[in-house]
Amino acid sequence: MISFASFPVQPERASEYARHFPDDDDHMDLDDGDFEAGGSKITWPGETITSSQLYMRGHGTYVENEEVVASVAGTIERVNKLITVRAIRTKYNPEVGDLVVGRITEVQPRRWKVDANSRQDAVLMLSSVNLPGGVQRRKLESDELQMRNFFEEGDLLVAEVQAFFADGAMSLHTRSLKYGKLRNGQLVTIPPILVRRLKSHFITLPCGVDLILGLNGYIWFIDDSTRTAISRVANIIQVLASHFVPLTDTLLLEAYEWTVENDTDAKGLLSEDVGDALVATITARG
Amino acid sequence: MASISTSKAEISYIQTGLLSTPPLRADGRGLHDFRTISLETGVAPLANGSAHLNIGKNPHDGGGGTEVLAAAKLEVETIDGQSDGVNGGRIVCTVSCSPSAYPHLSAPALDDLQHDMSTLLHQTLAHPSLHPPNLGILAGKKSWLLNLDCVVLADAGNTHDALFMAARAALWDCKVPRTRAVEYKAPGAKAQREGESGEMDVDVDAGAQQSGFDTRSIAARAVDFELPDYWDEGEVLGGRDKWPVCVTLNVATSPSGVQHYLDAIPQEEAATPLRLLLVFSFPPASSPNLHAMRILGSGELESGQIREFVASGEKYAQKMWDNALNGKLKEEDLRRGQKARDRVYEAVILLYLLG
Repeated sequence: MISFASFPVQPERASEYARHFPDDDDHMDLDDGDFEAGGSKITWPGETITSSQLYMRGHGTYVENEEVVASVAGTIERVNKLITVRAIRTKYNPEVGDLVVGRITEVQPRRWKVDANSRQDAVLMLSSVNLPGGVQRRKLESDELQMRNFFEEGDLLVAEVQAFFADGAMSLHTRSLKYGKLRNGQLVTIPPILVRRLKSHFITLPCGVDLILGLNGYIWFIDDSTRTAISRVANIIQVLASHFVPLTDTLLLEAYEWTVENDTDAKGLLSEDVGDALVATITARG
Repeated sequence: MASISTSKAEISYIQTGLLSTPPLRADGRGLHDFRTISLETGVAPLANGSAHLNIGKNPHDGGGGTEVLAAAKLEVETIDGQSDGVNGGRIVCTVSCSPSAYPHLSAPALDDLQHDMSTLLHQTLAHPSLHPPNLGILAGKKSWLLNLDCVVLADAGNTHDALFMAARAALWDCKVPRTRAVEYKAPGAKAQREGESGEMDVDVDAGAQQSGFDTRSIAARAVDFELPDYWDEGEVLGGRDKWPVCVTLNVATSPSGVQHYLDAIPQEEAATPLRLLLVFSFPPASSPNLHAMRILGSGELESGQIREFVASGEKYAQKMWDNALNGKLKEEDLRRGQKARDRVYEAVILLYLLG
């Protein structure tokens, strides 16, 4: 009912990390220029990546003493002579065609501002929504006057990234029956980098849980299954996200089956050892 | 209060879940379950007592949760007409909220919020019924001013409970330096015993006293104090087991019924704005004391329900008090005692090695 714990002891942690990376000299020495081979290389702020005379610095890097140095923790990427670091913890980087879940923050003339976990608020134009019931909107002034009837502040919606504005803000559209306002459900937020691009982001798990995996890290659970199942899947996602495991539908299903096999309820998943066991099993299978 | 942006759909979803049978919450907790609370005392080296508390930290990556730091700092106050110093010392409680905990609030709104929290904490803890006996130094001349400063570093719901728990832990941890009264005397005057405060050590070492003070102002017979041992942390703050704990009962109402639950997350707080704060203490061998009671948020309660809520609140507070907090505080005392002993042991070994 109520339990107390201690904060983790810091010095022990430090030695743990030191043991994990005993040979970081190997990682440091990337001057040979083999960035592309053998998967992604991970770097962290302040680490020298390569010489600035051979390569150009891109996002997530800076030049110091004629050397390209990482400014964020992430994976090193190279396109020809351009070195970039893709950050692990970052805001959502939108691409056209992405499915996102967003929240209305502001109603403005002929447009809504939408929080989609990106650097800037996204824009949803009145001209790029379908009216309730999938009716094509005709240009009427009455629509502009009743914009709050469609979406008001705080409402959640699912939409697709349509285009970008000159300042980099994304423009959304909901011109499909799949898209629109989200009702009756629960939102879970995870780092956007953990959502993989899938064939469909509308996922129905065999346990009866329907969810929308927004590429911006917002996940919406549609409430037409039992709520205990929803809580269970929501907590599974939280556990996986805190262990930084990327999400797919098959992974979620495996995790759900594991919790059923081990007779773990949603609350039990929040405890440290159960979560660790779950992640260990799932990542071993995958 | 802290209201994050929530859609009507989410609000109704949360309310339906709370009022259904069996009640369901988003993270699968029962209505009266707390999230895990992490507590550590003695975190601020410069404070006389301090505590760091987190409710609902993610055990896997250590992030999230409501985070509160509390620190008690003693300073000497002169009791005269001009300053606020009073005989027997006083307590001033302040709460400040980090803007990063409330990014959606404007600066004036944040000020209001921290003022509200400060008022609640100060009115409850600085009440004469809880006043510690050993905050006086010299009657009528000097006393301790105890500043209890709390910082809300992150708000993931249930801030009031966290604040009171952190305050209790910091005050539990607080040590008052030992003082010794001294008096100025004319050289060669007969040593007079200074005995106006019974609990303090009386200075009997006349030789040391004469060497340490300017004795030219003979007539004044002014009285001051000194710290007998600079390295000693002092004695614990008197009545430290009296500091109360707060239980927030979040009330979800619908035409069909009323349900109360504990330890709300921000979404739940937004969905059920009505909250009843109850601040209890449980002195040994007497009945529990109710120190404060507040109804926050919009909504109404029937007066009959209040009695019921106070009774259940007392039950939860008792559990928090007995099973959890006190045990944890004693454990922390032991841990820190052990750490101090280890440090002394290390120092001894070091000295030995150095020869």
